[in-house]
Amino acid sequence: MTPILSAKHLDAGYDNKAVISDIHFDALKGQMICLLGPNGAGKSTILRTLSGLLAPINGTVEINGVNIKKIKSKNLAKDLSLVLTDNVSLSLMTVYEIAAMGRIPYTGFLGNLSVDDYKIVDNALETVGAANLKDRYFSELSDGEKQKVMIARALVQEPDLIILDEPTSHLDIKHKVEVIRVLQRLTREKGITCILALHDIDLAIKGCQTVILVHGNNIVTQGTPEEIIGSGCVQKLYDISGAVYNELLGSIEFVGNNTNDIFIIGGNGSGIPIYRTLSRMGFGLTAGVIHENDIDFSVASVICSKVITESAFEPIKDISLSKAKILLQEAKCVIDAGFHLGYINQKNMELIKIAQKLGKPILSLRNNQNNSDFIDIDVQSIHFYESIGDLISSIDEIIKSHCL
Amino acid sequence: MNCNAYSKKRPFILFILGVLLLLIIFLLSICLGSIPISLEDMKKAFTENDKIAHSHYIIITTIRLPRVLAAFIGGASIAVSGLMIQIFFQNPIVEPYILGISSGANLFVGLVILGGFTFGMTSMSTTGMLIGSFLGAVFIMIMVIFASQKVKSITTLLIIGLMLGYVCSAATSVLTALADREKIASFTLWTMGSFSGFKWSDVKYAYMITIPFLIIAFLMSKPLNAMLLGEKYARSMGVSIKLFRFLIVIVSSILTAVITAFAGPISFIGLAVPHIVRMTFKTNNNRIMIPAVCIYGAVMTGFCDLIARTIIAPTELPLNAVTSIIGAPIVVYLLVRKKGGTL
Repeated sequence: MTPILSAKHLDAGYDNKAVISDIHFDALKGQMICLLGPNGAGKSTILRTLSGLLAPINGTVEINGVNIKKIKSKNLAKDLSLVLTDNVSLSLMTVYEIAAMGRIPYTGFLGNLSVDDYKIVDNALETVGAANLKDRYFSELSDGEKQKVMIARALVQEPDLIILDEPTSHLDIKHKVEVIRVLQRLTREKGITCILALHDIDLAIKGCQTVILVHGNNIVTQGTPEEIIGSGCVQKLYDISGAVYNELLGSIEFVGNNTNDIFIIGGNGSGIPIYRTLSRMGFGLTAGVIHENDIDFSVASVICSKVITESAFEPIKDISLSKAKILLQEAKCVIDAGFHLGYINQKNMELIKIAQKLGKPILSLRNNQNNSDFIDIDVQSIHFYESIGDLISSIDEIIKSHCL
Repeated sequence: MNCNAYSKKRPFILFILGVLLLLIIFLLSICLGSIPISLEDMKKAFTENDKIAHSHYIIITTIRLPRVLAAFIGGASIAVSGLMIQIFFQNPIVEPYILGISSGANLFVGLVILGGFTFGMTSMSTTGMLIGSFLGAVFIMIMVIFASQKVKSITTLLIIGLMLGYVCSAATSVLTALADREKIASFTLWTMGSFSGFKWSDVKYAYMITIPFLIIAFLMSKPLNAMLLGEKYARSMGVSIKLFRFLIVIVSSILTAVITAFAGPISFIGLAVPHIVRMTFKTNNNRIMIPAVCIYGAVMTGFCDLIARTIIAPTELPLNAVTSIIGAPIVVYLLVRKKGGTL
């Protein structure tokens, strides 16, 4: 099968200076390919070169097997359409008129639309879910609606390939998802190939079939989202400091303080909101004992300065418990996240007992004071809270009074 | 299918209104003036010209008729030129003179009036001025076209136009500083713009040159529409930007140069009329905009010229003062009334 677009040893840049060199990839029919990289990595430059707006410095771009330089611009417009980041200020054009502009490569000298043209425009607006907007003025629309209309316009060109530059930037999460959904529909149902630039790691990895990582004058790697995640390239790609991209969860966590103010006993997701909240307030956190396959682990390992872990599915061993005990001794107070107690993490309850013996203030989010989880523990000395909000409103005071 | 039923009715009504206004202004322009002429007489002038006073006949056929026709074609040309330039630069506050055309014309007319250059002619005359102004406008235009082939960015081209304009204005000021007082007066009069003194031959030339270019402008409405989305989108839809850019500069410059040569720099029409039309017609679609701007450019210029010469007759106001006084409040009103007040 001839690829819809094929970039062969392409150097892209301006004024004979390559910004990105040796781009090499094929885009097949119905593929959704995403260029992922930080701002200024050269994603837009690549897209402009792929779309023929910029001449390649070296190498070739082929559309359906033909060198793009040899395709007449009018014919190219029937193969390929664009959605750009350029802010279009069309105050007095209706949505329909803008979508209908996509027929320009097909209409005659004066641009009269035929009955078929009208049908194509109607269908395109329907496909992107903007049919209800067609009589509205473009300038009255929200950013998300505008983007959908621009995609409809691109669709009206009836291309094999749509190239989109940052189609989701400036959009809220609802519209981000909607735009990606629309593109997925175009690729799956209509067999249109989409090449898009994104800087949103999450959307790229979860929404696209092929991801190309662009960084520092080069394509770092390319492959399926799963391969990209496995390669551990994302953190390097964005050169993030002060935060860590969690490739498993696909989320960013800010690195916490490197101190041990509060020891948190969590598990099964109960710890995550507490880590995040207290870290935001400036506390240095430690946590334990968490199993390595626990969801809390992936977040705690970034936020907390130290985390005591146990191998997956193993009951907590004594050695882990004694390591946790050392951290617990240093901390100013202990929080019981209200984790679910089961066979393998039973020993975490012992940690609470130890904390009590050490005279550490214990704050608990366990919902019932008479909870049968507390065996041999004097619940009177534990501060119980219904929510994290309640807990944080009194934590400062408890720590202060205890230190006195 | 009938997506824009409402927006099709509106232009239709406004077109008819425009033509009616044009007719009314035409009649008023013939009849009103320091010597009033009745409609009856006017009719006779065209049908049985031996039955009206000879002076009236002369006033109608050699003064008022050519003048109103000149104002019409002048207004239409400058306004269409303004519309094209606004689309080309994607900037709502540019006008035909932004490319330095008027400054070029000014300089060359300055050379004629103030410096006594005759461009090879034996005697100085209005023809000399005309040729001077046309040469000036075309000279600057060619430089801008040359630049447009070299420069990629439209904004840079705009700045080049502005800079050329500044150089020409500076040269003109130098000339003015060195010139005789009398000559300065007649030069200043020219810069105020006026359709007075149009002869039939001038009118003929103005129509002969501008009408083909107005038609070309209309035929360009499809790429002009594509250009509304910006140069990159236009290219992605198969518009050949180089050719289009060349055509747009040529067409808008010639439309402006011709009128400037005959009537002096007519300010504000090129800026205001496209806005007024856009906001009343409520569209950006150039297939409607270009004919509409033609008609309303003619209406507005004809009206302003009528006011300029009648309101404190026999003294004539400078046309540019009237166009600004009438045009500016209309634009501001339309902007303020419009939701959000953006262009």
